[in-house]
Amino acid sequence: MRDSDVLDNNPHVSRSALEAIHGQVFGWALSRCHYEKAVAEDLVQQAYVELLTGKARFDGASSLKTFVFSVVQNLARGRYRRQATRLRLVDKAAPDNRVVEPVEPTRRDDVWQAVKALPARQRDIVELVFCRDMTIEEASRVMGVSTGTGRVHYDRAKKALRKRLRDD
Amino acid sequence: MTDFENTLREALRDEPAAVRGVPAFANVFAAAEARVAARARSRRILGGIAAAAMIAAVALTVMRPAGPTWQYVDPEELASGTSWVAPSDVLLPEHRFDIFGEIPVLIESTESDEGALL
Repeated sequence: MRDSDVLDNNPHVSRSALEAIHGQVFGWALSRCHYEKAVAEDLVQQAYVELLTGKARFDGASSLKTFVFSVVQNLARGRYRRQATRLRLVDKAAPDNRVVEPVEPTRRDDVWQAVKALPARQRDIVELVFCRDMTIEEASRVMGVSTGTGRVHYDRAKKALRKRLRDD
Repeated sequence: MTDFENTLREALRDEPAAVRGVPAFANVFAAAEARVAARARSRRILGGIAAAAMIAAVALTVMRPAGPTWQYVDPEELASGTSWVAPSDVLLPEHRFDIFGEIPVLIESTESDEGALL
């Protein structure tokens, strides 16, 4: 790690290390916002802002990837919470105003379709483990749940996927 | 890892098409840096405005014209005074009168004045 590469407010994070995981971070951000590219880019940018300002401080307890993923996850959660509150208010004001949720692009792959149909937590852990190459422990950390809870989601997801893929 | 898990890993390895167009790291990171710089700049401006407002408030307090100062009457000065002018006397054609220390004594005349009653 070159010294000039290290972020001022985050001594354990370097620009080059972030660059190395940038693609994966963007992929994770995309899946957090229904595959809306502009929103995902904004999420990643915001995550970098948090790292640059030291608001999100990496202490090296986990891998940088796990840490940045959890920053993105928290930012996305906050964003959608705010959005949901706004939508609820709009809905209250005009009950007939139906909000159309952005739809993930269609995937031909049956497995992806099956994953998409899983409950949110199960989908997240499957994506983190199989698509982002994380261990269940790392994935649980990103999701902000205990490893035990993560394992439960993982097992349920596997069972549901096996059933769905067998039925198809 | 079970066969099923391997199958899942194989199948899910290919990201959806949307993920392929990853924006360049340099651009995203530069935009983040610009955002941080802009935030610091606006914080500096706000800090400057707050400091200026505080200085103005202090200056206004210090430079505020003093109100009327109360003057008390000195009883000794009042007792030894030989003249007194009422504030409203300026409105009169002749203002001021003397205060005599003693009551003037009228001397009885021994001579009769013509037509005067003694």
